[in-house]
Amino acid sequence: MGRKYVERFNTAERVLHWFVAASFFTLLLSGLGLYSRLFHGYFDLFGGGEGAILAHKYGGVVFFVSSLMLFLNHAKDMFTFDEDDRKWCKSLGGYLSKNPEHINSGKFNAGQKLFGIFMGIATLLLGITGVINWVPESFPRGVVQFSLLLHGLLFVWFVMLMIVHVYLTTIGNPGTLEGMLYGNVRRIWARTHHPKWYKEVEGE
Amino acid sequence: MAEVRMGFLVDTSRCIACRACQVACKAWNHLDADKTVEKGSYENPTDLTPNLYNRIRFLESADAGGNVKWLFMNERCVHCGDAGCMKVCPAPGALHRTKEGIVVFDKEKCISCKYCVSACPFNIPRYGADDKVTKCHLCFDRIGAGMLPACAQACPTQTLQFGGRNALIAKAKGAGKKLYGESALEGLGVVYALEEKPEVYGLPENPSIPTSIFLWKDVVRPLGILGFWGSVAAVVVHYVTFGSRQLEEDGKGKGGDAHG
Amino acid sequence: MTNHWIDIKNADVILIMGANPAENHPVAFRWIQRAKDNGAKVICVDPRFTRSASKADIYAPIRSGTDIAFLGGMIRHILENHLYHQEYVANYTNASYLVGPDFKMPGDLAGLFSGYDKKKGKYDKKTWAYQKGPDEVIRKDETLKDPRSVFQLMRKHYSRYTPDLVSSITGTPKETLLKVYEVYGSTGKPDRSGTELYAMGWTQHTVGTQNIRAMSIIQLLLGNVGVAGGGINALRGESNVQGSTDHGLLFHILPGYLAVPSADLPTLEKYVEKYTPKTKEAQSANWWGNRNKYITSYLKAIYGAKATKENDFGYAWLPKNDPGVNSSWLMIFDNMLRGKYKGFFAWGQNPACSGSNAGKVRKALEHLEWMVTVNLFDNETASFWKGPGVDSSKVNTEVFFLPAAASFEKEGSVTNSGRWAQWRTAAVKPLGQSRPDSEIMNDLFFRLKARYAKEGGVYPDPLVNLTWNYGYRQLDGTARSVDIHAVAKEINGYFVDDVEVKPKPGEPPPKEKTFVGKKGELAGSFALLQADGTTTSGNWLYCQSYNEKGNMMARRGKKDPTGLGLFPDWSWAWPVNRRILYNRASVDLSGKPYLSKKAVIYWNANAVLPGGKLGKWEGDVPDGGWPPMGNEKDGKKPFIMRADGVASVFGPGLADGPFPEHYEPLECPIQENLMSKQMTNPAAKKFADGGLPEDVYASCDTRFPYVATTYRVTEHWQTGVLSRNVPWLLELQPRLFVEMSRELAKEKKIRNGDMVEVASARGKVDAVAIVTLRFRPFKVAGGTVHEVGLPWCFGWFTPGVGESANLLTPTAGDANTMIPETKAFMVNVKARG
Repeated sequence: MGRKYVERFNTAERVLHWFVAASFFTLLLSGLGLYSRLFHGYFDLFGGGEGAILAHKYGGVVFFVSSLMLFLNHAKDMFTFDEDDRKWCKSLGGYLSKNPEHINSGKFNAGQKLFGIFMGIATLLLGITGVINWVPESFPRGVVQFSLLLHGLLFVWFVMLMIVHVYLTTIGNPGTLEGMLYGNVRRIWARTHHPKWYKEVEGE
Repeated sequence: MAEVRMGFLVDTSRCIACRACQVACKAWNHLDADKTVEKGSYENPTDLTPNLYNRIRFLESADAGGNVKWLFMNERCVHCGDAGCMKVCPAPGALHRTKEGIVVFDKEKCISCKYCVSACPFNIPRYGADDKVTKCHLCFDRIGAGMLPACAQACPTQTLQFGGRNALIAKAKGAGKKLYGESALEGLGVVYALEEKPEVYGLPENPSIPTSIFLWKDVVRPLGILGFWGSVAAVVVHYVTFGSRQLEEDGKGKGGDAHG
Repeated sequence: MTNHWIDIKNADVILIMGANPAENHPVAFRWIQRAKDNGAKVICVDPRFTRSASKADIYAPIRSGTDIAFLGGMIRHILENHLYHQEYVANYTNASYLVGPDFKMPGDLAGLFSGYDKKKGKYDKKTWAYQKGPDEVIRKDETLKDPRSVFQLMRKHYSRYTPDLVSSITGTPKETLLKVYEVYGSTGKPDRSGTELYAMGWTQHTVGTQNIRAMSIIQLLLGNVGVAGGGINALRGESNVQGSTDHGLLFHILPGYLAVPSADLPTLEKYVEKYTPKTKEAQSANWWGNRNKYITSYLKAIYGAKATKENDFGYAWLPKNDPGVNSSWLMIFDNMLRGKYKGFFAWGQNPACSGSNAGKVRKALEHLEWMVTVNLFDNETASFWKGPGVDSSKVNTEVFFLPAAASFEKEGSVTNSGRWAQWRTAAVKPLGQSRPDSEIMNDLFFRLKARYAKEGGVYPDPLVNLTWNYGYRQLDGTARSVDIHAVAKEINGYFVDDVEVKPKPGEPPPKEKTFVGKKGELAGSFALLQADGTTTSGNWLYCQSYNEKGNMMARRGKKDPTGLGLFPDWSWAWPVNRRILYNRASVDLSGKPYLSKKAVIYWNANAVLPGGKLGKWEGDVPDGGWPPMGNEKDGKKPFIMRADGVASVFGPGLADGPFPEHYEPLECPIQENLMSKQMTNPAAKKFADGGLPEDVYASCDTRFPYVATTYRVTEHWQTGVLSRNVPWLLELQPRLFVEMSRELAKEKKIRNGDMVEVASARGKVDAVAIVTLRFRPFKVAGGTVHEVGLPWCFGWFTPGVGESANLLTPTAGDANTMIPETKAFMVNVKARG
């Protein structure tokens, strides 16, 4: 118990995450104008619509690769679901309660796992539909039409979840961001949010 | 929209497939020739191209008695009243409607997203080497100068009749013609008088904006925007009602020891 | 055209046969549409279901080359069912004439008319003559009942053309035949009119002239000539081919359809005597009786002051044919191949693709010392020496290429099929070094003249004596450019001297001199031309086109007083602005129109003329101002260009028989002519015995079992020299194709789009197969006959488009005109492995 901090994400993981994050925001900003004419002002960030499309296309490639890598990196953690995770789900992580019951989460709680799985699947689908939308002439019209719909739908979900993600990792749960910025979290943070993991790393 | 919506009546029964419309269009719009290959039909090119805004389809058939029919149909942008291409176009002004009701494009403003390609119920817009939208614009430049569209000017048999849409429709109805596109999609700017069912000409029986496109633009888009703001609102509400999860050590934790 | 394009809208029935106006005259097709709008029925008869057929109410398939059988059946139907216009036939045709007793017809003579000389391959027409009374007047039976009358002979002749037999020859289903006959026959009612539109589909056969004759008979029987919405209408294949024919394009006619003299007519007097018809028929205007005025005015126009009464107005300088020698298209290349010509001008033409049996034509060009080609673009003719299969090192022909201006790059008149001479101004300047034809000709004239002056030569007179006042003369006496208005005025003609009005015999001389015309004035009408050398006219038919009132051809008035679309103030039509020829046949003997709602002209008996006389024609310019025929003193018969004043149902002047008779094309798919023992037209010009290896035919030959025909497509023009150089048009029709039925394709294992080889006895081409429902096998003579078709607008000079279909067609000429038979010949098709 000498150190104040516990390592949560190594450097490679952090770099990868911020690649995903940066490309995501590129895609968001360049995609908003494509999503609706209401947001066409965002095109100006890229020097116009064509720039936005270009950024969206190549940002998409970066996002697709980095996001999938991130997903695969954590795939093992994502797909292990135990009794505690089920409890978490039942109480929705206690977020809708002023006095949540104690949940003994591992390195990632159930919400984070589900979020990760969604990220993986959505990345895959957005990537596929993205390619179809990129070269619509090469696909049957019906496929492209459905692809446009799916891309838009996933985009909406993605953004909604991202708002929640940002909230929960910043002001929602103070101290969380540190892990992604510096790699270390405070011991108290680890003990509070991920007691099972804390025990594992500290050997308690 | 316009004081008077202008448009075409295409009377297929008058067409002799001379294709003066195809060539006149190329001449006026300075469009390059397409390199074509003879594949066993007069119908060349076999599809609209970035350099071909309108073309004649040749449809050959015979009934059980061996009586041959050779139908000709002018394929082009029909300037829908409710235009799928305009609905999906994210670039303001790239596809817009003139005061005559004509759907025209502006290459300067097109951002090459190609959404219009998929949104068109008639599969009309094409993208060329410059990656910009092209399609029939009904020679809005000529119309503006009081001239007929180039194709109509060249048409020797009055197959392509240009004028006020209502007047053309009234005249055709008076002559007992079966019309296509009178009311679909808030009325097509190019109304056809057909000799056979629309499917024979490769036209959708009831043209509409593709369902996926409708769902995307008319359902997902508004609901999505609701969703964005909803999400933002939800976290704000959460923050002020439940607040942030403080750590135990700080001693201010409102919640239990952990939520995980 | 006897009528004109716009007049098609006035028809009740339109028969499209031997033409394909939707594809080859698309702009004019609007008038067919207009007729349809007015309720007209359109019939299309064609071996292939064409774009014209797509707009027809009735489509009748027909095996190529059997039109006379088809039409003969119609004549029979009209006669048997009394659909003809009795009054018209009796008064305005020669149906009532009695033919000599020795005249025999194919029904009795195994397919020949009497007088055939097998050795010469020609008819002696003596027995075809009419019976004449002691006063030299033709004997007639106006009741049309005399068995020797033309009418009864015709009935007998065509009684052989029963629907079953016709169907068996043509391959047209019998029910379709009868439907066509019935609908077209309905125009025999006096108040209905039917028009016929034909083009090369009728002319380019060994029986080409007789195809048109057969239809003429039908139109006369139905009273359809001279009326609005009627007539026999040749749809010309080039915008100005009517004009060039009017102005002496063909080897045997001078401008204005004056015969080219032959060497056995050494003096003008002899010429005039031979070519001026005489008649004893009452009431016949016999307009060709004026021939001497026209030939003299023509000579005065071309030789000017050099043409005097003393030197026969320069008649001796006119080039002459040797008697009996034919210098038509096919003969030119036949003689060229035999080495008879040194040089050749291919001016505005591409014979290496357009000539029938183009392989022979290309070979012939190798035998020239020099050739000048004048054209817009380099082409298969100009570059024949480097064509496929030609060893350039062995070709000694020196080729000169003179770039010519396109029609839009020069000013002048263009005469359309309806005889309207329309003046055009130049839209753009000629490109590069190209020049208008007139200026190329102008240069040539002055250079040749200078050379004659410097070096002398054999008989320079015809050239050096030509007048050439077409523009500003420089100090050296030459002109650099041509004022095309001066040419137009010369064509119209002038008064060379004051011409006084002469008193009629018995009338006292007028107190004051009045003039027909004064010296230097442009002539106002060919009626004013003189035979004494006091007038000039380069082409009497065009006299009036450019007169003292101005350039009539440039008029653009849009008045249409009759409502028939005659537009008398729009441009100018020959003759004398008459829009519908033979219009005096559109009225009855009293001048009352047969078609009251579509009256071309009518006799207004109450109109008061200056001088107090009563009565004049209203409407179109009549065929002569005389009162109607009912006026026995002054009235004239309507067909004023015929010596006897009536139209010819019986044509004793033709080379191959006074009635059209069905003969098979020179190359045909069946062993015997079902109509008679005579297989082919006995008077047609065949080249097979000329000893040239290029001239081979293959009739009923198992190696070439399929009928073939050639045609044009909308998208290309003629041999394609113009259109193949327009990428937009090449995009529409990129290369040679061959159309065939599904049945034939199945038999030959050919799929749509396959490359196939089409071969005739003379050559072969590679073409893409268009397997179509629009060609159907024909049931002919109890068997099945397949037909295929190819366009002839391509050639090797344009890369990747394929070769000329004329490599397949034969050298064989129509008996009367020598037009080649390109519309019916035999081929084989096979898939290219």
